[in-house]
Amino acid sequence: MPDLKPITALGGDTARRLHHGALELEENTELALASLALRRGATQPTLCGIDLPGPGAWALSDEIAAFWTGPDQWMVEGQNRADSDFASEVAALCPGCSVTQQTDGFAAFEIRSSAGETPILQLMAKLVNIDPIRFPSGSATRTGLEHMSVFVIRRAAHHIAILGMRSAAGSIWHALEKHILRIEDRKP
Amino acid sequence: MLIPHPLLGLRDAQEFSYLGDASLLDRPDGLAEKAGDAFFSYVYLRENPAGVHRELWFHEQGDRSWLVVTRNTVTHEILGAELARDVALRSRSPRERGDPA
Repeated sequence: MPDLKPITALGGDTARRLHHGALELEENTELALASLALRRGATQPTLCGIDLPGPGAWALSDEIAAFWTGPDQWMVEGQNRADSDFASEVAALCPGCSVTQQTDGFAAFEIRSSAGETPILQLMAKLVNIDPIRFPSGSATRTGLEHMSVFVIRRAAHHIAILGMRSAAGSIWHALEKHILRIEDRKP
Repeated sequence: MLIPHPLLGLRDAQEFSYLGDASLLDRPDGLAEKAGDAFFSYVYLRENPAGVHRELWFHEQGDRSWLVVTRNTVTHEILGAELARDVALRSRSPRERGDPA
């Protein structure tokens, strides 16, 4: 047997991290994703106690979370489940819905602030054309980031996540790294 | 330019791509008589109004929905936006919508 070695979306053996000033950027290699779509006329299922959120929203329950991606469509997230068959677990909970594995299509990046929400608001203003004030915790949306299509999730006031195409992981990391370094270096 | 997305609120027009006249939703029946004439006007003939125009926009860097946006082509004022799905379903018969007859 050839000796195969799994690598992360950025090509490393372990998740890449950057800590600069108040902001910490981390590649989230453990996030499992599955998309969920209702068939025409189907009733909306309940997932592990989550009421599937409405437009622009993200909802969390223990290690499962879901956010709205389009009319009757959601993305379901499983923290620390990337090496499991997450889509079939979700499909079993949602009979009659269309569920597709998305884990290997996306790369996830978590950005946390140790100095409250101010650095997060400054970073969002640089990165995406979304009003950060009207994007409180529990919000999620798809938007453009340096011409790449990404999902932005406000998991908490001091914590955002960026999910983008896995094939563009290096470009997304570069964009996030560049702006984090600039923001933190500009402080007096 | 900001487009008032019916579900997501005001979004930058850069997130959208433009297709054209909203009459493209009314595709002619290819099996009807004189379908050729109907398709000729469907494919080639467009009104080109200086004023209010209904047009299709795709929220590509967003929720991937098609919108029917009403825009004044002279002032670029956006007068309204609704989901193209809702517009299309309204104009079809109940049977085509999948409702029980």
